[in-house]
Amino acid sequence: MSDSQSDAEYFQEVVAEIELEARQRAATGEYPRALLRSLDEEFRRWIPDASLESGIEDTIRSIEAASYVDAAVPLKSRSPVGSFTKWVVRRLTYFYHRHIAQQITALGIHITRPLRLIDASLKNINRRLSLVEDQLDVGAAARSELIASVSHIAASEGIKEILLEHFRGVPGRVLFGDLFEPSLLDFLRNQGVDIYGVTPNDEASAAVDIQQTELIEHLDHLDSNALDGFVLCGITDRSSLNEQLRALRLLLLRSRAGARAAIIVAKPELLSSRLGPVAADLLQGRPLHSETWCYLLSRENASDITVVESSDSAFSLITATLP
Amino acid sequence: MTTVHQLVPTISPRDAVGNHTLALRKILRELGFESEIFSMFRHTDLMNDTHYVDRLPGDADVVIYQFSIGSPVADRWAQHPGLKVANYHNITPTSLVGRWDGLLAAEVQLGRDQMARYANLCDHAICDSDFNRSELDALGYKSTETIPVLFDSLDARSDRSTLAKLERNRQGTQVLFVGRIAPNKAHHDLVAAVRTLREVHNDNAHLHFVGTDGPPSYRSTLNGIINHAGMRDHVTFHGSVSQEQLVSHYMAADVFCCLSDHEGFCVPVVEAMNHDLPVIAFSCTAVAETVASGGLLLTEKSPLLVASAIHRVRNDDALAQRLRQAGRQRAKNFDSEITREKFHRQISNLILESL
Repeated sequence: MSDSQSDAEYFQEVVAEIELEARQRAATGEYPRALLRSLDEEFRRWIPDASLESGIEDTIRSIEAASYVDAAVPLKSRSPVGSFTKWVVRRLTYFYHRHIAQQITALGIHITRPLRLIDASLKNINRRLSLVEDQLDVGAAARSELIASVSHIAASEGIKEILLEHFRGVPGRVLFGDLFEPSLLDFLRNQGVDIYGVTPNDEASAAVDIQQTELIEHLDHLDSNALDGFVLCGITDRSSLNEQLRALRLLLLRSRAGARAAIIVAKPELLSSRLGPVAADLLQGRPLHSETWCYLLSRENASDITVVESSDSAFSLITATLP
Repeated sequence: MTTVHQLVPTISPRDAVGNHTLALRKILRELGFESEIFSMFRHTDLMNDTHYVDRLPGDADVVIYQFSIGSPVADRWAQHPGLKVANYHNITPTSLVGRWDGLLAAEVQLGRDQMARYANLCDHAICDSDFNRSELDALGYKSTETIPVLFDSLDARSDRSTLAKLERNRQGTQVLFVGRIAPNKAHHDLVAAVRTLREVHNDNAHLHFVGTDGPPSYRSTLNGIINHAGMRDHVTFHGSVSQEQLVSHYMAADVFCCLSDHEGFCVPVVEAMNHDLPVIAFSCTAVAETVASGGLLLTEKSPLLVASAIHRVRNDDALAQRLRQAGRQRAKNFDSEITREKFHRQISNLILESL
C-alpha cells in the first residue's frame, strides 16, 4: 500500500469518527439545537433573488455604466517620450474621441431603455400575480393553523420491527420523509440502516442527519438513483392528493432498481374523527386508503406489496420492493 | 516562426487564470514559438505586456482560448482559421450565481452555451482537472486531456509586518480561506462553522478571508449574516493581497478550510498544502480530486460537522502532523516544474502533429 493510499484511508477513518462523534453529541443534546439551524435559516432569509428583485435593475445599471466611454486615453508608457507623445496625440484628437464616445454612450442608453420597459412590465406582472394568489388562497392561514393542530399518530413497536426487517441489508441511503417521529429514524439508524430524515418541522429537525426542508423541494434537488429505499409518511396524512402523488413519483424517480419502499398512512376514518367537521371541511389533504397506495405501487410494477395494520388500528404500513 | 497566441476574456495579475495565461506564454516562448496574449479587458499593469483582442493576427498557426466565462472573445477564437485549442478552467453553474448577480449569471450562461456550441470546432482541449474534462467529454469534445493549472509555488518570503500583526492578534484557532468572495465559494458556511466552533467547543477562533470581492449582493448578505451571528469581531476580510502577504497568511493560520460548492481546480488548497497547513475541505466538484489524499474530505458541511473537524485537527497533534506531511506530498503532484514539463511535452507534440 502506498503512503498516499494509507493516508487517504486513515483520513477517511478520522472523518467517520468525527461524523459519529458529532451525531452522538447531537443525539445526547450536548450541542444546542437552535444553534445548528439559526444561521442556515438566516442565510435563506437574506438570500436575494436577482431575477425577481433587483437583478434586472442591477444588470441594466451595469450595462449603462459599461456603455459610458471615457474619451481620455491613458498616457502610461514605458518611456517618458512615449507618455509625452500620447499626451500630445490625446490633446490633438480629444474633440474627435469625445464625439465618438458621446455617440456610443447615447447608443448604450437607447439599448437599455427597452430593457427598463421589460423590467417594469415584469414587476407589474409579479405584483398582479401576488394579488391573484392572495384572492384565490383566502383560507391559507386557517389551513396552516389547522395542520399545526393535527397531532401525529405515533408508530407502535410492532411497526418498528417490520420496518427494520424490510430495510435490513439495504446497501445505500434510505430517506425518511417527511419525518414526524425522530425516534423511529433513530431506531432504524441504531440498527445499522443508513437512513436520513427530511422534515419541514422545526422540532424534529434537530438531529444531525435530519434536514429541515420540504420533502418535495428536497427530492427536486436529489440525483436520480440516489436512494436505496424510502419511508414516506407525514405528508401522506395532511397534504393534497396532488402533493402526495408528486412525492411518490419523485421518490420512484430518485430510487435505484430494487429499492425498498415503505409508506405509513393514518387510517382515513380515524383521522376524520379526530379532525372534527371544521378541519375536515377546510383541510385540502386527507390520507388515502391503504388500497389506493397498493394500487399506485402495483401500477409501478412494485413487487412483494404487503399491508400491515397497527395493533390499535390507527394506521397502516405498506411495504414493497421497487422494480 | 510558428505563432501560438492565446486569447483570454480578461487578463489580470493575482488571478488564477491570468497567472496561468502568463506562465503558459513563457512556456510557449521557451519552446521557440512566437506567442502573445490578446484580451478584451486588460489590467493596467499588463497594458504594455498584452494586446487588445482586435490585434489578433488572422494568420496565427495556433490559437489557445482560456475558457472560464462567456465572452465575445470566444467567438473570435471560434472564427479563427488556425488550430483551435481550448484551455478549460470550468464555468460556475448559473444556478450558483443567478440569485446574486444578474450580469454575471448572463455571462456564465453565455459561457456554458459557447462551451456546448464549440465542441465540434475545437481541435483539442486541455482541462485543469478530470472533473472539468468530464464536462467537455460529455459535450462531445473530440480530443481532451488533463493538465493542472500553472501557478507559482509561492516561493516568495513572507511579509514580516503582516505575519507579526497576525501573530500578535491570535488567540484561538486561526481558520483561513483564500478565494474570491463569491456565493459558490460558500463563505457563509465557513462563518456558520466557525461560529459553531466558538460556541460548542469554547474556542476563541478567528476566520480569515483573503480574496477580492465578487457580487456586491453576496458580500452584503455575508455582512448581514456575520453581524447577526455576532461574528463581526471574529471574521476579517483581508481583500486582495501580495504574494508575500499571502505567504504570511498561510504561515499564521492553523487550518485551511474550503467549503466551496463549485471549483474547477482550487489553487489555494495546493498553496496551503505547500505551506504545511492542514486542509479540511468539502468533497465536491474538482475539490475532492485536488485534495485527494492530502487532507480531510468531508462528505457534508453542516456547521456542527465542520466545527468538529476543525476542533479535532487543532487538538490532535498526530493528526495535524500527518495532514501536513500528506499535504506536502500531495502538493508535489502539482509542482510547477512537473506541470510546465507536461505543457512543454503536450503542446510541442500537438503542434508538431498538426502543422
